[in-house]
Amino acid sequence: MFNSVMNAPPFWHNGPAPGAFYNFPGASTTPQDFRQHSQAPVTTATSIVALQYKTGVVIAGDMLGSYGSLARYRNCPRILKVNDNIILGAGGDYADFQYVKDIIEQKIIDEDCLDDGFKLKPKSLYCWLTRIMYNRRSKFDPFWNNFVVGGIQDGEPFLGTVDKLGTAYADKIICTGYGAYIAVPLLRDAVEKNPNLTKVEARQLVEKCMEVLYYRDARSFPKYQIATIDETEGAVVEGPIDVNQNWNLAHMIQ
Amino acid sequence: MSLVQPEMRPHYPDYATAPTQHHFSPYADNGGSVVAIAGDDFVVIGADTRLSAGFSIYTRDQNKLFRLSDTTVLGCSGCWCDTLTLTRILTARMQMYQQEHNKVMTTPACAQMLSTMLYYKRFFPYYISNILVGLDNEGKGCVYSYDPIGHCEKATYRAGGSAGALLQPLLDNQIGLKNMQNVGDSKLSLERALAVLKDVFISAAERDIFTGDSILINVITKDGIQDYSFQLRKD
Amino acid sequence: MFLTRSEYDRGVNTFSPEGRLFQVEYAIEAIKLGSTAIGICTSEGVVLAVEKRITSPLMEPTTIEKIVEVDKHIGCAVSGLMADSRTMIDRARVECQNHWFVYNENMSVESCAQAVSNLAIQFGDSDDDGAAMSRPFGVAILFAGIDEKGPQLYHMDPSGTFVQFDAKAIGSGSEGAQQSLQEVYHRSMTLSEATTAALTILKQVMEEKLNSSNVEVMTMTPAQMFHMFTKEQVEEVISKLS
Repeated sequence: MFNSVMNAPPFWHNGPAPGAFYNFPGASTTPQDFRQHSQAPVTTATSIVALQYKTGVVIAGDMLGSYGSLARYRNCPRILKVNDNIILGAGGDYADFQYVKDIIEQKIIDEDCLDDGFKLKPKSLYCWLTRIMYNRRSKFDPFWNNFVVGGIQDGEPFLGTVDKLGTAYADKIICTGYGAYIAVPLLRDAVEKNPNLTKVEARQLVEKCMEVLYYRDARSFPKYQIATIDETEGAVVEGPIDVNQNWNLAHMIQ
Repeated sequence: MSLVQPEMRPHYPDYATAPTQHHFSPYADNGGSVVAIAGDDFVVIGADTRLSAGFSIYTRDQNKLFRLSDTTVLGCSGCWCDTLTLTRILTARMQMYQQEHNKVMTTPACAQMLSTMLYYKRFFPYYISNILVGLDNEGKGCVYSYDPIGHCEKATYRAGGSAGALLQPLLDNQIGLKNMQNVGDSKLSLERALAVLKDVFISAAERDIFTGDSILINVITKDGIQDYSFQLRKD
Repeated sequence: MFLTRSEYDRGVNTFSPEGRLFQVEYAIEAIKLGSTAIGICTSEGVVLAVEKRITSPLMEPTTIEKIVEVDKHIGCAVSGLMADSRTMIDRARVECQNHWFVYNENMSVESCAQAVSNLAIQFGDSDDDGAAMSRPFGVAILFAGIDEKGPQLYHMDPSGTFVQFDAKAIGSGSEGAQQSLQEVYHRSMTLSEATTAALTILKQVMEEKLNSSNVEVMTMTPAQMFHMFTKEQVEEVISKLS
């Protein structure tokens, strides 16, 4: 009632937002138009933490399948060894992940049947994932996932990620979900101080991140898997590993 | 009668009592800025290397300049998944043209093709701010800028992307020498173009959170394409 | 020559045991019945000259169109089945306009010939978006044009084969005309020399007496591009013939 008197009119309208030529749609969520799109995630998995070290890659993710805020499935592996030179981690909708996983596994089987010695390379899987994710988003029926691809190609470690739109990039540090806010700063700080991490150091860092994420991310779980890949020891998926919890500080928090 | 309007309450997604509604948008704003300046026998184009989404920096080292031929470079910013797709199709079209017509596509031809390709997706556009640069058929530097649905304009200098609106007036002043009295029309040198390019990116990195980390620069002359990089602030 | 034709000349895509496609060869024979057309490419431009067969005095000669504009920078002379040639000219025009629309540049003469060739070899194959063409086109074409490589002349036959020529004759008088072209052609020929030569040779091979209403002459030059000679201009050239 007092609105028109109490509030000053906006400074600026009918123009571009400062610093932006275009107003990208979907920047703010309007709850009314949920009917337009058929899909939404159901059983979800949270962050993936991945780090490239001097000679290889580490990828970690916990084993919880959340049903909204309910910690419903507590033994959901989502770190894969795809073949001898690729490891894959996935976050987001667990059903979509399983569907894509089946397709990838079938691709690997088909390739093995040829028995020509050629194997899928990490950059090829990364590119293929980018295409299927982009194609599904273009049909307005996305795979609601974040994929993290790690591997060795031509003797060099590779780490890349693809999200549900087909947004893809490669970097030495990749975390999805809350990990992007909580684990990335920890990892970037550590890598800046020590750019040539060894496998042991990289693993310890990732384990620390999983611990911090368990403290801070309400959709996380203290049981996780870690996959490592390098030329000397190949691709190995370990787990379930328990988070090394320490609640000594808890009584000091009011 | 409450003075506080209910919709003025901030929205914390994790503390909402209602079930979370997942809204799917096929687009993302991944930020990034591109600046291009053309001279008589050269053209420079620079793009920052920050790839971001909201307050998250995906990577600090993402090249956004795409070499389409020995005389043509495209700079893209906006929705990264669309950029990846568009540039792949463009590369394929460049190759098909080369094989069909036994010659490399010229920059003006490429500029027109990009316009038609963007317009063919008029009703589901590629959300990209494109700037195409190269040498024209006379060897002169040229800059073409686009809106997401294929409107194409030829210019001598252009800023695009998240800091485009910030930088264009700066270029109008420094390169276009607009709104000034007693200025001679001296020829723009490559050194001057590079210096302005770096300066405007430093300014953009100060004011625009989606621009920063570093820039990659391509200088196109008749002798080929040279690239340079330049560090920006990383916060 | 045609002793072995028996059953292998039915299907347009069926090879004979000797490795020949009879329908294509017959089409190549068919164009030898067409009216003669001559093209000469010089450094100044290209000239095309064709004979028009006026089979009846009641016929209106201007309605026979054997030289057509494909784009501002490409013209064609055709010989053979005129109805077939319309389809091919249409394709050439569409391809040129599409190229201009997409790339904002003139299509090269070679690419234009290539595009028409792609249409010419589509006989016999049907797919989802159309039934098959039942036979090859019975048309020979001369493409005259100017592109970034300068003046160019291309010839295409019913098999879709296209080759660049300095000078080429097609149609019923082509054998004799080609022989004469070989004798008169030289690299430093001017365009007006070429025009005179084309009409001289045409005069020799035509059955009827050459006059300004039973020939068509076109020049393609960088300055004027596609230029069809008026009746007066044709008469002027004819008057200079020995």
